[in-house]
Amino acid sequence: MKKDNIVIALAGNPNSGKTTIFNALTGSRQRVGNWPGVTVERKEGKTDLDGRQVTVVDLPGIYSLTANSLDERVARDFIVQDKPCLIAVVLDASNLERNLYLSLQLMELKAAPLVLVFNMIDEVEEKGMSIDLDGLSRLLGIPIVATAAKKNRGIQQLKKVLAERIGLDALTPADIPFRYRENTEFAIERLSSRLEKDPVLGQSSPSRWLAVKLLEDDREYLARLEKSPLRNALLEDLGVLKKELEKSIGYDLETALVEERYGFINGIVKEFVKTSWGLEDRLSLSDKIDKVLANRVLGLPIFFFLLWLIFKLTFDVGGFFVDHIDRLFTALGSQAATLIDRLDAPSWVASLVEDGIIGGVGSVLVFVPIIFFLYLAISLLEESGYMARGAFVMDKVMHAMGLHGKSFIPMVVGFGCNVPGIMAARTLENPKDRIITILITPLMSCAARLPIYVLFAGAFFAKHQGTVIFAIYLLGIALAMLMARLFKSIFFKGEPAPLIMELPPYRLPSAKSLLLSAWHRSFIFIQKAGTVIFLAVVAVWCLASLPLGVAYASQESIVGRIGSLFAPLLEPVGFGFWQAAVALVFGILAKEIVVGTLGTLYGAGEETLSGAIAAQFTPVSALAFMVLSLVYIPCIATIGAVRKETNSWFWALFTVAYTLVLGWLLAFLIFQGGKLVYP
Amino acid sequence: MCPLSLCATGERVKVEKIAGGCEVRRRLEAMGVLPGEEVEVISCHCGPVILNIKGCRLGLGCGMAQKILVTPVAPSR
Repeated sequence: MKKDNIVIALAGNPNSGKTTIFNALTGSRQRVGNWPGVTVERKEGKTDLDGRQVTVVDLPGIYSLTANSLDERVARDFIVQDKPCLIAVVLDASNLERNLYLSLQLMELKAAPLVLVFNMIDEVEEKGMSIDLDGLSRLLGIPIVATAAKKNRGIQQLKKVLAERIGLDALTPADIPFRYRENTEFAIERLSSRLEKDPVLGQSSPSRWLAVKLLEDDREYLARLEKSPLRNALLEDLGVLKKELEKSIGYDLETALVEERYGFINGIVKEFVKTSWGLEDRLSLSDKIDKVLANRVLGLPIFFFLLWLIFKLTFDVGGFFVDHIDRLFTALGSQAATLIDRLDAPSWVASLVEDGIIGGVGSVLVFVPIIFFLYLAISLLEESGYMARGAFVMDKVMHAMGLHGKSFIPMVVGFGCNVPGIMAARTLENPKDRIITILITPLMSCAARLPIYVLFAGAFFAKHQGTVIFAIYLLGIALAMLMARLFKSIFFKGEPAPLIMELPPYRLPSAKSLLLSAWHRSFIFIQKAGTVIFLAVVAVWCLASLPLGVAYASQESIVGRIGSLFAPLLEPVGFGFWQAAVALVFGILAKEIVVGTLGTLYGAGEETLSGAIAAQFTPVSALAFMVLSLVYIPCIATIGAVRKETNSWFWALFTVAYTLVLGWLLAFLIFQGGKLVYP
Repeated sequence: MCPLSLCATGERVKVEKIAGGCEVRRRLEAMGVLPGEEVEVISCHCGPVILNIKGCRLGLGCGMAQKILVTPVAPSR
């Protein structure tokens, strides 16, 4: 990181409203969710503080600095290694007891001056609680800003305080009011005076923090100790000190240290937070809802019913708009054709515009409404707090399949797009659970694959379109579970880690934030249609028109030849003609291109397109095509995400291989089976 | 002492011991589940458990709930 660049890190527990604060500071539009680990990527933004440009980095939501999960490691490494010049710790002020734990650890770490942001202060007031902010701030020696980021309250004040704190020494305040019990302090002091003399370790972090972490048996710090020249003497010291302490405490030291921190926080909360009755009202409402939604018997059926409802609404409401947009594009196509005709442009221009651009990009863009409503539903699940319940309710089922309850979140997010789904797997603590989840997430049918089903189901199963599409999604889930079971028994023997997750109280999300979030995500889809898909479609058009003199989109054209090369492979699964082969091959670039390519090759408009498809496919082969599209090789972006998140080419290539084989086999079974039933 | 998974809905209990490995304990501790801590069982159906700990709702899978050993506490109110 450059020296002249001022960096402020935002740290905080999941669900503390960190992302909302981040948005308020930087003005960027990101999604705000409600499940642990919404911040799966490192997000950066710029803000103006007192005329200075400052970079704000939104760290993943974490509970402690113990580096249990990848998120915690990411956050800790950033704080320790990148040395931000200021850390703003965002706390859910209505839940200080838990939220202050991270703040206390950051105070001990002394990596940078802190500012505490007591967010959701409006909820504190609503609950009839009051916090003595001034008194607490004086005790800790750290400024506290009260905010209600959702209502944009306190943001200006926060900016002002942040601006004042920039440039302060990392050790401000020099002393914190928290001390461990006497014996522990004695041990910490002795160890840290030794560590100070160490040429390697003494430089990296404050020695007191190092001493605490070593006494806590923190694996990463113990590994660092290995590199020290004074290693043996230090390890011996550590062993003796720990033994003595544990003997005097009576149980293990790590738990004792955690307890002492909580004890201190407990005292603070008692001293500075005044509560009155009525506080539990909102929580008890949430509990009542959970009695039904997270019920052992009702939970699962309700969950599936909600999923079904989402799809039903998405297709019924979205479908209505699709018809209208489709008509618009058809009209646009003929308008363009007359215009070009009048301009006396060469006929290839007319073909490029009509077949290539409007036929290709248009056939993808008509699906924007459906995708918008799907994202709207996913945002609603996230922001209402139901997503965490889903993970909880599904835990038993997932467990039986060798997965973890939390694996369910990447899977649902994967319905929107597999890439963020794969990234959402970061909240899983156990690396084995994480890799399995990553491997099966591509089987979740993403929004980009949806146009394929809508097109084919519309052409062949118009009366049962919604049901057929829902069944495809369920097939994806079922396959994911089966594959997880299989991979578990081959590659990752052993029990999945037990589930523990926070269930945030239900909240009613604002319509504005839902619409913004859905729009933000759909816009990425539209952008893709304008760039990647546009280019791919033009490329397909060019290849369909070359070599010169050949009839457009005929078998003699270059695409025709490419397609014919692969077509024999598709013969046994029911669609051994070159157009299908071309669509599937190009679809690896991005799944939207499957429909885009068919649109380019068969001509513009969904109406004409479904006519052309109806002529070439049978209901059985259409079904096989849909299933193959669901399963076969994920798009390049997804393959890249698997590679990046598992940090291994093996798993990326493995994903490509298994999905291809599985997809082909299923399509083969469907087509051959169908042929037997309906000869 | 009995495992948390066997507690009844609405019961107030005190955490006595966490019988899991180091990883499990660390996770629980970071979320505030420590020996000596009093928690309320919001819902429990011989399996997944919802806890009230420091005013916060925590969902625990069956495996996790079996590893937490608790003793009942007399109701305070």
